[in-house]
Amino acid sequence: MRARLLGLTGAAGLALAGLTLAAVPASAADGDAQLWVLHGVPDLTVDVWVNGERTLDDFAPGDLAGPLDLAAGTYSVAITASDAEDDSDPAIGPVDLSLESGGSYTAVAHLDAGGDPTATLFTNDVSQTAAGEGRLTVRHVAAAPAVDVLAGGDAVISGLENPDEQVLDLPAGTVSASVVAAGTTEPALLGPADVEVAEGTNTILYAWGSATSDPASLALATQVIDGLHGDPSGVQAGELGLAADRGTAPWVWAAAAAALALTATAGTAAVRRASARSTTR
Amino acid sequence: MAALAVVLAVAGCGGPEAGAPVVPAPAETGTSPAPSPAGDDPGAPSSAPGPQVPVRRATAPAASPAPRPVRLVVRAADVDMRVDPVGVLDDGTMEIPPDARRAGWYRFGPGPGSPRGSTVLAGHVDSRLTGIGPLAELRRARPGDEVLVTTEDGTVHRYTTVEVEKVPKQDAPLARWFDRDGDPRLVVITCGGAWRAEIGHYADNVVLTAEPVRG
Repeated sequence: MRARLLGLTGAAGLALAGLTLAAVPASAADGDAQLWVLHGVPDLTVDVWVNGERTLDDFAPGDLAGPLDLAAGTYSVAITASDAEDDSDPAIGPVDLSLESGGSYTAVAHLDAGGDPTATLFTNDVSQTAAGEGRLTVRHVAAAPAVDVLAGGDAVISGLENPDEQVLDLPAGTVSASVVAAGTTEPALLGPADVEVAEGTNTILYAWGSATSDPASLALATQVIDGLHGDPSGVQAGELGLAADRGTAPWVWAAAAAALALTATAGTAAVRRASARSTTR
Repeated sequence: MAALAVVLAVAGCGGPEAGAPVVPAPAETGTSPAPSPAGDDPGAPSSAPGPQVPVRRATAPAASPAPRPVRLVVRAADVDMRVDPVGVLDDGTMEIPPDARRAGWYRFGPGPGSPRGSTVLAGHVDSRLTGIGPLAELRRARPGDEVLVTTEDGTVHRYTTVEVEKVPKQDAPLARWFDRDGDPRLVVITCGGAWRAEIGHYADNVVLTAEPVRG
């Protein structure tokens, strides 16, 4: 597979270049949006055109491309057969994607509830998660009626319709999830499947394909956006007071290099004792 | 063919506090796409065809749990403790083993051997279950003291203490202690200072920070 970013130049292109080359965190330009593209139309290999340029070549069902760091703005996206000369005869679109500064988006080419190809732009929730929690997003992009999502036998999402989503923040862990027609408990249209809800991560599940085609082509796709974690609010590591001391002043023993590295205070002695400050308690 | 996958650590659009989204790629498919034809200066701005967009199958990344820590030794402070994986309590604070003779490893963060970030171990200085624990002596450690953390695979990870400090809890640099980025380091946390009977907590945290011994 060949996937190229042809039409997007400037900051976006440079940020990606640095990223793929150095494999170190490459800071996108302030205010850039991040865009992923998911292909959820069965049996159709396509090219994706952005602002008239072929950006994804031979993009296959079940593939996820991205992230693209893009300046905020509106982008025209068209999806054509994979051998198209240009985007003048799109299978889907063209659609205008309006990307806001700092936003995280996934554009999904998929079937609507009636089985016709369409495209939907989802905004990914990349807000911070509480320490110990992960986020689960479920998106219905399949040619299928409304569904429920069962976890451990209970409906945790009810009546989800194409092309809607639902977002849950859950304790990190593995969830055994299945997708059923809304209001039922069986048969499972998808799953049960073990879904890892990783801490500090938005795990995005897509139900895509078609429940009505013969054979049915329903499938699950997964996108993972991590780095959303929050920190614990404190460390309470004593219960009795048996080890208490009367000294109330904070203190630090630090090697000079460590002081430089860890506290950004310039130390000159190799080892020094610093009474950081008096307290008012 | 296998989807192109690239190991990405993508800083997003803001500063570190923005919670930059990061997409991990499955390690076993970590093939870096060449962003430009051979011979090009890859760092040079170019109007030539742009770099490749990473594409992969939309499947969950394979879990790759690192070996968890099972033992903490700080000889200079007579600390030799078993270590249990722990998480977060309902009130949002780090979970601590009820037995003060055992330390907890914050399992959502990095572990020993992680290339980046802070491995956090914490234990009660004293507990209702077992009284005073070995971390009551943590304050005796000094910069340069060796710290050993053994992981379940038997590997002994060697660290050198760079800082031991006592800080009021309201000033605790939690973002630094629980940082998942930056140079790899070990943070060992317990309590100390005055006992605040009215809230049932110590006033301060006693914290040892160590960095890996290289080579």
